Amino acid sequence: MSQVTSGYYAPASLRDAISLKKRLRERALIVAGGTAAVQLISKMIAEPEVIISLEKVPLDYVKVQGNVVEIGATTPISRLLEKKDLPNALREAAENIHGLALKDMATVGGNIFTPAPAGDIATALLSLDATLVLRGTRGMRAVPFSKFYRGPLEYNIKADEVLTAIKIRRAPGLSSFLKQTPLRYSGPTIASASVGLDLDKDKKARRVMVAIGGLTTHPYRVKRVERFLTGKRLTSELIEEAAKQLVDDNVDVIEDALASSWYRRVIAQVLFKKILNNFIR
Amino acid sequence: MRIKFKLDGEVVEVDAKHTDTLLKILKDKLGVGAVHFGCGEGTCGACIVLVNGRPRYSCLTLAGYVDGKEVTTVAGLAHDGELSEIQKAFLENDAAQCGYCTPGMILIAKALLDRNPSPSDEEIFDALAGNLCRCTGYVPIINAIKSLSKKR
Ligand SMILES: Cc1cc2nc3c(=O)[nH]c(=O)nc-3n(C[C@@H](O)[C@@H](O)[C@H](O)COP(=O)(O)OP(=O)(O)OC[C@H]3O[C@@H](n4cnc5c(N)ncnc54)[C@H](O)[C@@H]3O)c2cc1C
Ligand code: FES
Ligand code: FES
Repeated sequence: MSQVTSGYYAPASLRDAISLKKRLRERALIVAGGTAAVQLISKMIAEPEVIISLEKVPLDYVKVQGNVVEIGATTPISRLLEKKDLPNALREAAENIHGLALKDMATVGGNIFTPAPAGDIATALLSLDATLVLRGTRGMRAVPFSKFYRGPLEYNIKADEVLTAIKIRRAPGLSSFLKQTPLRYSGPTIASASVGLDLDKDKKARRVMVAIGGLTTHPYRVKRVERFLTGKRLTSELIEEAAKQLVDDNVDVIEDALASSWYRRVIAQVLFKKILNNFIR
Repeated sequence: MRIKFKLDGEVVEVDAKHTDTLLKILKDKLGVGAVHFGCGEGTCGACIVLVNGRPRYSCLTLAGYVDGKEVTTVAGLAHDGELSEIQKAFLENDAAQCGYCTPGMILIAKALLDRNPSPSDEEIFDALAGNLCRCTGYVPIINAIKSLSKKR
């Protein structure tokens, strides 16, 4: 490849995709499923000279080996539902992305880059302590997902890197994702919560991962609540106590025509309590 | 750029910009009537087509994506003037009134039944969640799909 002219490129290999991205950087837009990226173009938010479509790059796969789950970045949501042995939270997040066309188009990797009200899959993956695999011209890098968001639309990814896979090692024994939407079967996420939990033999919380989505541009882990719960026996009183500290006063919660920031905070707490109470039932 | 694909069984070739959507090409360049423009942002489902048998919003698909692939619109389901089973079921159940949502509804119904010949109510509701209908109240559409469901 010498001169890259403006156009639509669908490289067949990851190497070609990465070398294109390295050469073009901000002049190129990566498109996976297109459900968010194409809107950037049609609404004239982005005017890329070059489209790098990942449609032919072989990253559409789900592998389960021992206690490691690996998901290729361009795996569509519908593929997740064909697998029976995925962590519960991930399955629940996938099931609740409604509509057959959206499930078939939207990719797992694309969901990680799409701001609220999207990010359901990302919220579930955060609570499963996932790791992101990024590949650039200088090689491969693994980033804990909890360290990937640096600010609104700012990611821990370099201009020549592509997200290639998401790995979940030692998925928690219990996990669950819940979200609130304005309609039963569709509509944007108002708030979501996802929790991963391991209990020891005395029913005390050994490992807790709590993620909240829909309140801010990207989902986030609530370490304070995780620390609060760790080592304790979960009771409904304790869960109530934890929920009170769930959304810090400092968090700048989204307020829009759909819901006030107050409502989003309350709903996040309700969902969080529901999940934990279901675990101990 | 020049793209070439099969549209309802016939090979077509057309010029497109790398940022053109498939919907734009189908409507503006090829004059396809069996695809509707509703919202342009993935919420109404009027623009749905099948690409290699799988449903896609054509408003969220770039034209370059279909190069070398097969695109099916609702018109492509009929053969030799004979409507397909799904189209007949929609007619018999009064599942189309103004018809704006109908191409997308029928194609989603086909995609669902191809994958899952006896969907539960819950599975039908979920599959149709991305398709809006402003006329029928959905019940006739759901009945049309159920009438084709195996086992029932
Ligand atoms: C009608 C509708 C309903 C929706 N409902 C929901 C919902 O209920 N829940 C929800 O969570 N989301 C929802 N979404 C948001 C939906 O866009 C995302 O869920 C989807 O997962 C994005 O994936 P994609 O493959 O389409 O991404 P694309 O649009 O292809 O890409 C999105 C962004 O990510 C970048 N990107 C993609 N893949 C990679 C990669 N491998 N490496 C580097 N960069 C990459 C692209 O450059 C782009 O900037 C909805 C969207 C629509 C249109
Ligand atoms: S026009 Fe594509 S979904 Fe409405
Ligand atoms: S029949 Fe009119 S929108 Fe559905």
